[in-house]
Amino acid sequence: MRRDFIKLCCQAGLGLSLPIGAPALLSGKSKEADPYEGPYYVVFNASGGWDTTYLMDPKGVNEINRLYKEGDILTHGKHKFAPNAKQVGKGMSNEDFHKTYGNELLVLNGMDYSINNHSPCKRYMATGKLDSLAYPTFAALVAACRGPETPLAFLTFGNYSATGNLVPMARIPYLPSLNLVANADSIQGISRLPYHDDFAQDLIEKTLEQKANSPKQKHQLPRTEHSASMLYAAQSSSKALKRVEAKVSGEVGKVRLHRQSEIALSCFKAGVCVSANLSIGQFDSHAKNDRDQMKLIPEFLDGIDYLMKRAEELKIRDKLVVVIQSEMGRTPHYNKGDGKDHWSIGSIMFMGNGITGNRVIGETDDGQFLTPISPKTLALDKEQGIRVRPEHLHQALREHAKIDSHPFCKKFPMKVKEEEKLIDLFGQG
Amino acid sequence: MKVLLMALPTFAMVTPLACADDLQPQPDRFFAEEVWAKVGELSCLECHREGGEAEESSFVLRQTIPLQGKSLNEANRENYAAFRKMARPRKDGLPKLLRKPIGELDHEGQVVLTPQSSGHLLLGEFVRRLGDEKKQEERGSPPKPFFAGVTMVNDQSLLRRLTLSLAGRLPRPGERDLIKKDGLDEIGPVLDRIMTEDAFYQRLKEGFNDIFLTNGYDGNGELILSYNHFEKSRLWYQKYDLSHIKDEKERKEALYAMTREYRKAIRNEPLELIAHVVRNDLPFTEIMTSDYMMVTPYSARGYGIYERIKERFKDPDDPFEYLPAKLPALKARNDNPVNGPLVQESKTRFYPHAGILSTFQYLRRYPTTETNRNRLRARMYYQHFLGIDVMELADQVADAAAIDSKYKTPWMEAADCVVCHRTIDPVSGLFQDFYNDEGHFGPRQDGWFKDMFVPGLEGNDLPKEDKWRALQWLAKRTAKDPRFAIAMTEHVWYVLTGRKALRPPKDIEDPFFSARRRAYKMQRLEIADIAKRFAQANFNLKLVFKELAKSPFYRADGLDAAIGQPDRKAELHDLGVSRLLGPEQLERKIEAIFGSPWGKLKKEMEILYGGIDSKSVTERLGEPSGAMGAIQRIMANDLSCKHVVADFALAPDKRRLFPKVEKNMVPGVLPVTDLKIRKGIVHLHARLLDRRDSVDGPEVDRTFKLFVAVVAEAQKRKGIDKRETYHCGRINGKQVDDPHYTLRAWRAVVTYLLRHQEFLYE
Repeated sequence: MRRDFIKLCCQAGLGLSLPIGAPALLSGKSKEADPYEGPYYVVFNASGGWDTTYLMDPKGVNEINRLYKEGDILTHGKHKFAPNAKQVGKGMSNEDFHKTYGNELLVLNGMDYSINNHSPCKRYMATGKLDSLAYPTFAALVAACRGPETPLAFLTFGNYSATGNLVPMARIPYLPSLNLVANADSIQGISRLPYHDDFAQDLIEKTLEQKANSPKQKHQLPRTEHSASMLYAAQSSSKALKRVEAKVSGEVGKVRLHRQSEIALSCFKAGVCVSANLSIGQFDSHAKNDRDQMKLIPEFLDGIDYLMKRAEELKIRDKLVVVIQSEMGRTPHYNKGDGKDHWSIGSIMFMGNGITGNRVIGETDDGQFLTPISPKTLALDKEQGIRVRPEHLHQALREHAKIDSHPFCKKFPMKVKEEEKLIDLFGQG
Repeated sequence: MKVLLMALPTFAMVTPLACADDLQPQPDRFFAEEVWAKVGELSCLECHREGGEAEESSFVLRQTIPLQGKSLNEANRENYAAFRKMARPRKDGLPKLLRKPIGELDHEGQVVLTPQSSGHLLLGEFVRRLGDEKKQEERGSPPKPFFAGVTMVNDQSLLRRLTLSLAGRLPRPGERDLIKKDGLDEIGPVLDRIMTEDAFYQRLKEGFNDIFLTNGYDGNGELILSYNHFEKSRLWYQKYDLSHIKDEKERKEALYAMTREYRKAIRNEPLELIAHVVRNDLPFTEIMTSDYMMVTPYSARGYGIYERIKERFKDPDDPFEYLPAKLPALKARNDNPVNGPLVQESKTRFYPHAGILSTFQYLRRYPTTETNRNRLRARMYYQHFLGIDVMELADQVADAAAIDSKYKTPWMEAADCVVCHRTIDPVSGLFQDFYNDEGHFGPRQDGWFKDMFVPGLEGNDLPKEDKWRALQWLAKRTAKDPRFAIAMTEHVWYVLTGRKALRPPKDIEDPFFSARRRAYKMQRLEIADIAKRFAQANFNLKLVFKELAKSPFYRADGLDAAIGQPDRKAELHDLGVSRLLGPEQLERKIEAIFGSPWGKLKKEMEILYGGIDSKSVTERLGEPSGAMGAIQRIMANDLSCKHVVADFALAPDKRRLFPKVEKNMVPGVLPVTDLKIRKGIVHLHARLLDRRDSVDGPEVDRTFKLFVAVVAEAQKRKGIDKRETYHCGRINGKQVDDPHYTLRAWRAVVTYLLRHQEFLYE
């Protein structure tokens, strides 16, 4: 009942109004939303545009890479990857990453971003829609579909984070911030010091609930009605944040992705979050490409590794679905400043719940141009194949998350032709 | 080939809105709302218009968004005639109308519609229907007026919204009386007075920082001053004589404070320029054209110009007293010939100031690199000063990588790239004297790029003799551009409502496309009309605040009946303010109502509560997350804890919250007491929520029941302390008596009310 009610609140994004029917005061305690129990969705963003030839799509030919030659390329199972253990200062090498995760890693090489400017590319990658500012990111969409009643359904740490007005985005900059909001009804968050006696607190909540459920005295504009619903949902659902309190680790990582992962995992574990958008920037290596990419790719992989290991410790690893992406690739040649500019062909990686690893789909040639693939067999098909674009991947992700027939997905359709849908991208048969 | 500034309406000839509306669609609804709105306007008009790339062709169309009434009908009829002509059957196959857009018949714009796409199918349907006789229902009927059924906020509430929003205070009795007497007519004069208050300028700067984000430049404030030009002055504070402070610790602290203030003063300068222009009723174009910058006694020392201007400061020790000043043309460090390129050419001997554009702060906030080539700055120029986001919607191309590799300079050769670069790159060239990522003066060592479109603005090349003052040249032209006035009006709309003006819908398959287009059009007409008057009023920005405040778009507050039709709901989806107050605004509201701010929202909770840091977090959250909901609960609990008992401890005439109730008034004993309690609730509703309820109104009833229930429940329970709590109930260090639990019940009431939409939103 409660779940349904808050769902309705969140659906106010579609213009629905609140249900009517007021329970009497003190007829029962206000219940918290049930914990969300997974799957948990994490989108890692290498913001600025990664050099895929230094990770999962190695070349070593045509002067594409200065740090290794074609013969240096390494393999792990089906994966081919660029060697970088010698260049890694801090972070995780490609070698270690593939050794640890190769068996569960799905790579798609030769994805067509279609354009090569940061802003539209970020939007396109995040939402699957290039020509609309209204579409939600996948992370926001899946949060809205799967757990709208969770108080921090969609967490974001940057990158393009539009929500399509389906669910609020939450920003938790630091781990202690979670402590701050975990116990809102107690003085300085100390549980034994409540502001109000429990019966008074219950009466406040019940009166607010009664007000939210009561017919409005005047007809509201859609925007006002929507705001009222979102506000009530935010305040009501926030009570569940007290579950996070015990999960907050005292060790606050100074490494960017460690901190973000820790916050996201604390929220997942407490059942107050569905998806998180994790991001680090500075990949835009127009100057000194190799120096920057060799610093950032290991940091990025180390962040993924941190998330997976901590999730293992928290016993939620098997519930994670991880998308690893960037908004563009880098050119197959260096510019005069030893940098690489924007390139509209790139790669994406997936792993986690419901994804069969040790697989590589698609390819780019020696000029870093993509080879089309058959959407049915996922095999290379230069003649009849399609150029895989973000909308194809988003369609597949929606199907994987089993939300493709949800009204929110219908509100923001991908419009991928039936014959272009990627069949069994995630290898579940 | 297409140009970038696709159908960017200038709206120079717009008709006043005055809630006028579209007439019956001409010549019929199908053409006006389907063929024209979804295809003509979105796919053809870009080039096929006067001034467009295809203006020489026989298919020239007219904008309709800025038009109403007769002129709209005329334009629709002309567009229809042009479409009809193109739809004539041809001997060699399908009509031009169906072939050109898909790239056939040597269409210079190449493929603008995919064959069999929705747009192309619409054109096919248009051709098919041409032979048909029009049925009456196809002609359509005039739409209902846009604001039909929309109710406006009452004048007193409008006044309160404006004083809180713009001055961070409640209305004064005199202001209330004026509005009571003359209604909306007095809003302008009242706003004129509000716009003399310091609090207004605080809000103005905060609002424009949300847009320009100049506070977010990287590093310490003084890093805008380059070592090569300001090496002797920029760290002046390190040698400042503080020897009169004998205690070493105190002296160090004074130095730290001075450093902080210097850095803050210099960081604020671009926003202070905005405040200066508005405060002095100068044309707002001066934010681009001013041949001066704003400095304080502290920042002037950093620039090395303090001695020259110190007499002009009222208080040379005030780190935040800003006044306009000119910077001499920059000389290289030590006049060393090695640093020759760093010597600034100037025919006036002064730095060629161009308002905000030439401030080091703006340039540092939007840095450049060897491959970016100042394009970010050009993009921000378009966004900030002409209201155009060139990255908003990019066209999808068949194979961008192939284009990149096919051409040596795709931005000058490939049609798909030239579209934007022909407009962006010339503006990039105007920033060429600031070619680094630090915002400092310093032309590119190898000279400006030869493989880019030459510096200039939309077809006008920068004259060689103006190169030394390229940004001034740009600013002068921008000030004359009608898009500037529209962009500034949109900025004020953002400051007032917290959201950007509507953008035109692009997704023609959206079932609410027509509704969204109408919503966009109506708002656009209003903005354009106000922008026109703004320009006529010598660009006095105060006029924009006054006009928007009176606008039905700002005053819309409710409906006289529920909306059943989804189309109508979509039309009205953006109407009304209904803005979640940001952390700064909420703190100011709390201070206005309770007499002091809460304090926590501006400190540890600012980002958590949806605020920005102007650097990595640049967009405010418009809807509350669960974390924000928790903060609202903390705030409500904490404020009631802090203020309820303290208010009761004051003499009744000094109280803000409870002037007419006492803690010994227990409900359910005497009707007269209950009435007094209800009156107390009416007062609280008015003060906290701006509600005008009667003592027996349903919301007063609900609040009263809460009060009654808390008191009654306490009486039933055993072991309830007869005193208020230690944390919320002390006066002069002593816990106050609360024998009937009424103080705690009032605290529950205030907590309840502070969590209302009416308090947390404007």
